[in-house]
Amino acid sequence: MSRQRNIFIGLALIIGMPSIPALAQSTDQKIQDLEQKVEQLDQEVKVAERNKELKDEDAANQAKNAASVTADTSGFTIKSNDGDFLLKIGADLQVDNRAYVGDGAAAGADTILLRRVRPTFSGTVYKFVDFFFRPDFGQGTTVIYDAYLELKYFSKAKVRVGKFKPPVGLERLQSDDDTSFVERGLPTLLVPSRDIGYQISGDVVPKLVNYAVGVFNGVPDNGLGDVAVSSHRDYAARLFLTPFSGAAKNPLRGLGFGSGISGGGVDGIALPSYKTFGQTTFFTFASGVTSAGHRTRLTPQGYYYLGPFGLLSEYTLTEEGFKKGLVQKDIAFRAWQVEATWILTGENKSFTSPTPKRSFDPRNHGWGAVELAARVGDFSAEKGIYNYGFASSNTTPRHAHEVVGGVNWYLNRLFRISVDYGNTNFGGGAVLSNRLSERVLIGRFQVNFI
Amino acid sequence: MKLTALLMIAVGAASLSAGAVRLLNVSYDPTRELYQNINAAFVKQWKAKTGVDVVISQSHGGSGSQARSVIDGLQADVVTLALAYDIDAIAEKAGLLPKNWQSRLPDNSSPFTSTIVFLVRKGNPKRIKDWNDLVRPGISVITPNPKTSGGARWNYLAAWGYALRQSNNDESKAKDFVARLYKNVPVLDSGARGATTTFVQRGIGDVLIAWENEAFLAINELGKDKLELIVPSVSILAEPPVAVLDKIAARHGTAAVAKAYLEFLYSPEGQEIAARNYYRPRSKEIAAKYDSQFPHLTLFTVDEVFGGWQKAQKKHFDEGGTFDQIYQPGR
Repeated sequence: MSRQRNIFIGLALIIGMPSIPALAQSTDQKIQDLEQKVEQLDQEVKVAERNKELKDEDAANQAKNAASVTADTSGFTIKSNDGDFLLKIGADLQVDNRAYVGDGAAAGADTILLRRVRPTFSGTVYKFVDFFFRPDFGQGTTVIYDAYLELKYFSKAKVRVGKFKPPVGLERLQSDDDTSFVERGLPTLLVPSRDIGYQISGDVVPKLVNYAVGVFNGVPDNGLGDVAVSSHRDYAARLFLTPFSGAAKNPLRGLGFGSGISGGGVDGIALPSYKTFGQTTFFTFASGVTSAGHRTRLTPQGYYYLGPFGLLSEYTLTEEGFKKGLVQKDIAFRAWQVEATWILTGENKSFTSPTPKRSFDPRNHGWGAVELAARVGDFSAEKGIYNYGFASSNTTPRHAHEVVGGVNWYLNRLFRISVDYGNTNFGGGAVLSNRLSERVLIGRFQVNFI
Repeated sequence: MKLTALLMIAVGAASLSAGAVRLLNVSYDPTRELYQNINAAFVKQWKAKTGVDVVISQSHGGSGSQARSVIDGLQADVVTLALAYDIDAIAEKAGLLPKNWQSRLPDNSSPFTSTIVFLVRKGNPKRIKDWNDLVRPGISVITPNPKTSGGARWNYLAAWGYALRQSNNDESKAKDFVARLYKNVPVLDSGARGATTTFVQRGIGDVLIAWENEAFLAINELGKDKLELIVPSVSILAEPPVAVLDKIAARHGTAAVAKAYLEFLYSPEGQEIAARNYYRPRSKEIAAKYDSQFPHLTLFTVDEVFGGWQKAQKKHFDEGGTFDQIYQPGR
């Protein structure tokens, strides 16, 4: 057995001997092939890694440069990564229900109406240029309310051009979604709404002293216009101080006061007409009367806010020239108002709408913010308005006195429900008597975001 | 006394920095070292000549990307880009300089030239000698993306020009040749410096198509025992141009110093610095001095073969151009 095995091993060696070099060669080849494969795989891995790095770099660069799109309580925004370019799409929608109480001559028709329907496009281009565009489609009309550019390179001298609110009346300058009542008070009747012109404004002392000066085409009181009717211009300026706004614990930190003034020629400008809280026209001029001469306005104004409490007051004196036949006289109009508000749910009151501590969501114990508001105001035209035949005492009262009370329910920062009741008494405006008082209940649903 | 001295130093430093003129040079990818040297020399010369300090900032990236940044608002006083087309784009789209900008400085506003060569691993294991070796199956070629890199466009056109010569100006054969070359490209970096990093530091690829100066720098940095320069039989004469962006310089009040800065590139000192950084100087004297440094090869120009950069750009690199037709990412 052992001999047979030795013979077998011997034969195997003899047969195998010539193939030893071939075996070595084959092994070398295999090693070489394997090395090549390893190298190839190594390259593939490196290429994959590098491509991933490049892809990541590219994605990071794209993310760095990509614009961000946000939708939150401040509206819908598209913003470049560096913030130099911004587009905000907003809307201001108000649905009102006006119910006039009583059926006197002053009463209007009860109605449900779209008070304001204002899509808003605003933003920034090239970091220093803001734009704002806001038409209104409410009440069946199409009007461009605001359309302006503002160069804000110098914060102390921002240059605004276009159509916007001239710097005169305090409540007029307050955005309509921030006002405490569904309609503004009587002093606003005597200041311009929107006008086309140029304005320079800024903080002389940051957050403490603000100024604005501008030149405008000139529009009727509480009116707006798109073209100048004469070569006369209207000049407006306003200085407003908030001297304690930087002092966090000072009880006067919410105090602001100042005054607006304006002046200019009114030749050919349309005559104003004045409306009540219920938006019925109570004051119109007699036929044959035109604006003529000059108009000056003075509007001392101020507010005070402390915690949930707010107080806002302004006075407007407008002296304006009118002409009928050969008679040309300046007539003075005066209006004032004082309004007080209290937010029952404890939010802080300010010149802008409060943000509810808890937005409306009853399942999670959120009810929004509730505010009570009261206002008293007065409007009067000097007696000469009748004496010179500019208005008829039989049809046009020269005095109006309003008292308004209301409740605002801020369901969240954007949505608000308001119910206001207003009573306006008149002096004159009927034959040997006064125009019947207007009593109106106005409810409003409002969504507003800019 | 000490306080007074400190105050004087502080005031002096403040006035120095307040009085310094600032320039931004927006350049392409592989010129970092060149302009570091140029800037140091110019700052010294300008101070001696005018007494005014000048602080020069550099910005580098793919030439096309850099031009886009300037068009989008990057406040460059001067641009020193890889090719004239990118400065043309700035003139056309942003209007920051006149369209005849190239005629304002000698040699078409290109103070030095370069060319395109190959960089391979030491010993040239894949035996790469000329452009036709780059299209062989299994050869991995590194070159950046012509959409973003000026150098990459020079690489592409050099290959195309070679193929035209080989095929007796047969455009379809040239297209096929370049298509096969790009099939061998596994990674497209956005700039020339990135491609060098991919090849040299990451060890990817068998051959890097590179600016001549970039290839020399890579060899100097990594060592002659690791890399080898291969000079193809024919290549393209690359003429990277420079220009003052008039409107920005006027706004910054830097027009005079920006002009002097670019003129310095043509001075003997500027040309010497360029040559030391492996750019081929325009000055005959300096070129003669550094003659042995630069390999001799047949060079063709963009104007001769492609009819100028505008035509080359439109045909090959614009959206839907030849490059888009032949290159499929993620193969």
